[in-house]
Parts: sequence; structure tokens; C-alpha cells
Amino acid sequence: MDFKLPENTTMIADTARRYLKDNYSFDSYIAQLNESNHLEANRWQAMNDLGWFGLPFAESVGGYGGSLLDVCAIVQELGAALCLDPFVDLIVSPGKLLEFANTPTSLALLDRIISGEARVACGLYDRHAGYHVLNPSLRLNGERLSGQKHVVSDGGVADAVLVSAMSGDELAIVALPFDACDVERYRLLDGSRAASLTLDDVLITDEMVLCRGDAAKQAVSAWFDYLCALDCARMYGACREVYQATLEYARTRKQFGTTIGSFQVIQHYLVDAFIDLQQLESMLLMVSVKGESANVCERGRATAAAKAYYANRAVGITQQGIQIHGGVGVTEELNIGHYFRLVTHASLSHGDREHHMSRFIQAGEKQNEVV
Amino acid sequence: MNLDFSNDEKEFRKSIRQWMKENVPDDIRRCTARGAMPDKNMQQRWERLLGSQGWLTSTWPEQFGGPGWSATQRYIFDQERASAGAPPTSPFGVAMVGPVLYTFGSEAQKERWLPGIQRGETLWCQGYSEPNAGSDLASLKTRATRNGDHYLVNGQKIWTTQAHWADMMFCLVRTDSTVKQQQGISFLLIDMKTPGLEVRPIYSIDGHHHLNEVYFTDVKVPVENLVGQEGMGWTIAKFLLTHERTTIAGVADIHYEINRLKSAIDALPTETDKQLAVRRLAGLEVDLMALEYTNFRTVAATDEGKPFGPESSGLKIKGTELQQRVSQAMVEIGGLMSLPWDNEEPIGEQIFNQASRRYNFLRACTIYGGSNEIQKNVLAKMLLGL
Ligand SMILES: Cc1cc2nc3c(=O)[nH]c(=O)nc-3n(C[C@H](O)[C@H](O)[C@H](O)COP(=O)(O)OP(=O)(O)OC[C@H]3O[C@@H](n4cnc5c(N)ncnc54)[C@H](O)[C@@H]3O)c2cc1C
Repeated sequence: MDFKLPENTTMIADTARRYLKDNYSFDSYIAQLNESNHLEANRWQAMNDLGWFGLPFAESVGGYGGSLLDVCAIVQELGAALCLDPFVDLIVSPGKLLEFANTPTSLALLDRIISGEARVACGLYDRHAGYHVLNPSLRLNGERLSGQKHVVSDGGVADAVLVSAMSGDELAIVALPFDACDVERYRLLDGSRAASLTLDDVLITDEMVLCRGDAAKQAVSAWFDYLCALDCARMYGACREVYQATLEYARTRKQFGTTIGSFQVIQHYLVDAFIDLQQLESMLLMVSVKGESANVCERGRATAAAKAYYANRAVGITQQGIQIHGGVGVTEELNIGHYFRLVTHASLSHGDREHHMSRFIQAGEKQNEVV
Repeated sequence: MNLDFSNDEKEFRKSIRQWMKENVPDDIRRCTARGAMPDKNMQQRWERLLGSQGWLTSTWPEQFGGPGWSATQRYIFDQERASAGAPPTSPFGVAMVGPVLYTFGSEAQKERWLPGIQRGETLWCQGYSEPNAGSDLASLKTRATRNGDHYLVNGQKIWTTQAHWADMMFCLVRTDSTVKQQQGISFLLIDMKTPGLEVRPIYSIDGHHHLNEVYFTDVKVPVENLVGQEGMGWTIAKFLLTHERTTIAGVADIHYEINRLKSAIDALPTETDKQLAVRRLAGLEVDLMALEYTNFRTVAATDEGKPFGPESSGLKIKGTELQQRVSQAMVEIGGLMSLPWDNEEPIGEQIFNQASRRYNFLRACTIYGGSNEIQKNVLAKMLLGL
């Protein structure tokens, strides 16, 4: 085995870290938190210039052929910076779904995402289906689409959406304009923007259906695993910062005439966090590679394990970070609480712990069948 | 041993339940059912209502206007209050400064301040913590200098819950910096409207305003607002820490939260999701039962006039941990439904809509009122003999 990151990935990570350090701060984050439009023109252009829009996609479809590992390197830094720029929501998430769908229409739309022209979101969730993305409650009856989509993450600006729907017992992916739906926009737990869509017998044409049946299932399932890995990367970046900041706080905060870091219980908490962070990093490396494995069963087992583990330990690190900060840890003014919300959010997007535990068990059973 | 309530106690429960049914205002009930915290108006209306029954100060001795209930009756009352969807009362007047005044206060102070607390009319806040005196409270620096018939107070308090609602603050101040830290502290009552006193909001991570900074610049406080003697502040603060432990675990409100969560299980997407949630809830209920029976032992001991035994030591620690775990379970079980933060229409089951704010706020409950680390330090010293 070789755990050395490819040189190119290291470069991407360094660039991302430097770019965010120079262009994004806690103040930028707070300002963005209070905006309903999360697309800040200068930074959006800068990300495009850095080549991030094409990075996640294969060269054969007009991308720059980056791996999941590369994209995780960027997303990790976005998490570390608390950055709300909708890179994942408007580029990676819809782009990967379109790439996985792999039809002429979907690839044409992907082209427009890579070039930065299109503002497309993914609407694969609704509250009736929860995390069961292969069985959405939206119905496609002939040419009519009816039902709801919830928590459609779109940076507050998408004008088109890729939705999943059941057409009989067949899954279908449909691209349609936001205008075709009733839209309610709101903020989510991590500060990002999203929408609920209500579709009332929306008339659609054949070209709007990107794919159906097994092809649609495979695309959504590959997309789900890919996004699970990105959740972990984001949480890792956040936890890394919380650990560093908390360690620093323990070194400097004084009570009883000494630093709180001199108390043994605080030292034990921090050692636990250090160890957890190592294991979280191991899980991230694992899922950044296996999360796009051609072996579907291995891929699913990897993302299920990683997300289940993160939902427990990444959340734990941020909770403990707050505790060690005392009162100031629960204020809006300090970043620690914001990281806690980000991590809680990422632990609940694309499947919570219980959901992934069930997937893990199922994947294990399937693996045994194969052996 | 007898682990059941007596017939009288059951009758008492019945009558309280009936009263709650008829009297908890609808808007307050709905607010609690949503998982939101009451605003000032709701809080005060509720406390005045209890005050008009003589029940607000149910923990006070009869001679100072308590209803003369046993600890068991108080416990039952709290259960019925919570399960009727009414909020807990604010602790600052009733559970803190009230007992301080009837224990250490002068006759004039009792006469002046106790009735307002009893009727739910005066709102109090607690001015203990400072930026550099949190866990190490004894190092507080806010200074009160005697100047004829008044003190001049200068300094800063922080994390003062409801200071923006309060009429009065009870405050720990330093009156002598030449003696040992603990001995130079005094207990003052300060009118929030005094010139020189400024309240600034602190927003907490649930997005709401509960906390404040309070700045004092030459704030004039009449000498008659000193409780006890100069230098007695620390003794008074310590007295409060050991006072009234019978509802500190928050059992009644945890019950209410678990029931709320139960009622929302039906909104989950699949049978498997429901089963997993039910199992997780059962785990929490089992833990709650352990806490509750421990709590019962404390209640029974109190009614027998015995001091709190070691069984009461973990009540705050276990209670706050369990509150946090229940609020976390609510968010996690809600899944996608818990993610929206400021939407007008809840997505699906309403209780999940506020769940993440509550979860965020409750991270504080292992920090305030003496962090759980400090609680354990105190218990180690008290119990272990190491
Ligand atoms: C929501 C909320 C409401 C509050 N309301 C009020 C109020 O109304 N009035 C008021 O006066 N105060 C209030 N407080 C303040 C509260 O009492 C303090 O936050 C608390 O005492 C901790 O102090 P600190 O925040 O300065 O943390 P610190 O004392 O700096 O502690 C930081 C961390 O170090 C740990 N630590 C400190 N000393 C030790 C030690 N010796 N051994 C091991 N660990 C240690 C703590 O447990 C904590 O984890 C409130 C706080 C919150 C969060």
C-alpha cells in the first residue's frame, strides 16, 4: 500500500488553502451568511480561473480529469475555511450527476456547467423518501411531473434543477427550470442556501428526461457515494481547524492562575481529539479512493462506513471543542460553534448515521454473496 | 420499600393535572410543543399565573410564602407542569435570589423583594461570571467601592442570561482586594435601570439572544442593597450551589422532549427508519429511568429531612448529558427535516424544524451553572477521599 498523495493532489490542496487564506475569512463567511445570494462574482470567477469547474470531470467529457481525491482536497479546505461558495452545490454535485448519466443531453448541460454559464442544482431529496434516493416521491405520469423536492441546495441562485422521479417503478432523472415549480427559499443549518420545490402537474418534454431505469439508478447511486465522500472531506477540514483552535485556546485561556491546558482532564480530551482526527483522516483517505471504485459494492461499503464513522467522531470533536471553550464556544461571534453546525449538517446530508449503518450491513451481505 | 405514590399524592397529581389542563395558555403550550423557548411576555405571563396560585415559589418554606408542599409534591407538580407543555420557571428569582434573601437578608430586604418574586412581577438576572472569572469565579474583579450611603460599582459581567429582560440583578462584587480572594466578595442587588449600567447582547449559536454583557461605570447602589455583611458573598454563592437539588436533573422536561420525539416518529420515511428511531428512543428512556429513580431517592430523602446523599451528586451531570443526547437524537432522527434553519413552512413534522436550534443551545447546559468538569472536580474532593 502507498498512502502518499499524488504530487498533483498536494498541489491542488496547497493552492486551495492559499487561495482561501488570501480571499476568504471568518468575516467573509459572516457576510455571506447574511446574504441570500451565495454567488459572489469575484470569488466565483477566481475558482473558475483556478480550474476547479473542470477538475471533477473526465477529459472525455470536457473536464480536466481530476480524481475524487483531488476534489476532496479542495472540499476539505472549503470546510476548513467555513466557505459557503456553492462550488459543490452548483458545480460538483450537478456536474457529477450529469457525467454519470452520460447521455448527449446531459453532457451538453455539463459543458455549460464547466464553462461557468449554467446555474444548475440537484433535487434528489424529499422528506417523504428521506435518504432513500432511489425511491423518490416525485411522480412522472406520462408528461406530467408532480410532487415535492426538499433541501435543494442551490446557493440561492440556481435557475435549473435536476430532479429524480418515479415513472411507474422506474427511476428517471429530469432537468427542468426552477420557474416550472413553486419555490420556497431558506437557509440551512450550515448557513448554505436551499429551496423547497412544489411541482403541480408540470408539463415536460422528452428531451428534459435525461435518463431512466437502470441507467438512472446507477447514476444516482454513483452520485450519492461521491457526495458522501465530499461530506467527509468537508467535515475533516472543519475538525482539523476545531482541533487546532481548541488546542491553542487550552494553551492560552487561564483560570485558577494557570492555563486550562494544564488540567489533566482537558489534556485527555485533547489527546482523544488528536487520536480521533488521525482516524478521521484514515477514513477520509480510504473513502477518497474507494468512493469512486468501479466495484459498486466496495464503493457503497466504503462510503457507508466513512459517513457512519464521521457522524459519530467528527461531531464528537466539535462538541468537545465547544465544551473546552466554555461560554464563548456557544456564541455566534466565535467560529467554533459555526464549525459544529457545519459538521452536524454534513453528518446529516446524504444519509445520517443510522442510514449508513443499514447500508453498511447490506453491502456486507452482498459482498458475502459475491465471495 | 414502597416505590409507588401514596393515594394523597395521586389525588394531588390529579388536581394539578386538571388545573394545568385548564390554565396553561394555548400560545405557550404551542410554543413549547414547537420546541421553541418562550419570549419575555409568555414567560412572565406564565410565572404570574403560577404566582397568583402561590405556586411559583413552591420550594420556599411556608413562612416565606411557599405552599407547604413536600418534595414529592413539588416533584409531581414539576412533572405535570412539563407534561402540560408549560416552560420551566426562570431560576434567578425563585430558586436563587429568593432563598438567599430569606436566609441571609434583613427584614427590610425580605419585605421589599420577596413579594415581587412570589407574584412573578420582578424579573432577576444573575451577575456572577466575568470574562476572566468563569470557572474560577473567586477571581472576579468587578469592584464596589463604599462611598457614604452607597457603593460605586465598576467593571464588567458576561453571559448574563436575560439581563435584557430583568428589573434587578444579584451580583457578586469585590469590596476588598487586600484579603484572600474569597473573603473580599460581597453580594449586591442592583437595579438594572441605574445610570451607568449598560447591557449589550450576545447572540448564541441557536441564533437567538439570551445572553448579555453588562458594563458598569460608576453605578450607584444604595448600601441597603448589600445582602448579609461585606465579604459574605462567597458564602452566599456556595449556599446556593447546595440548595434545592430535587429538580436539578430536569427529568420532567426530558420526559416531555422524549414524548415529543415519539409523536413525530410516524413522519419518518420508511418502516426501517421508524424502527431504528424507536430503538434509539428506548435507549434514552432507559437512561432516563435510571436518572429518575436516582432523583426519586433524593426526593424521598428530602421528605425524611435527611441531607442529600451521594446519590444526588450525579444529577446535574447525568441530567445535562441526557438533555444533550435527547436533543441530538431529535436532530439526527429528523435527518433532512432538521436541516432548514429559517424556513417559514416546516418540512414535514414541525418538531424537527426547531430541533437543530435547540440542539445548538443545549451544548451550553454542560457549561453553565458550573461546567461538568468543575462539578466532577468538586465531587472528587467531596466523595473520594483521595
Ligand atoms: C448559556 C449560558 C448561560 C449562562 N448564564 C449565566 C448567568 O446568567 N449568569 C452568570 O453569572 N453566568 C452565566 N453563565 C456563565 C457560566 O457560568 C460560565 O460560562 C461557566 O462558569 C464557565 O466559565 P467560562 O465560560 O469562562 O469557561 P472557563 O472557565 O474558561 O472554562 C473553559 C473550559 O475549561 C474547563 N475548566 C476550567 N477549569 C477547570 C479545572 N479546574 N479543571 C478541569 N477543567 C476546567 C471548563 O470545564 C471548560 O470546559 C452562562 C453560560 C452560558 C453558556
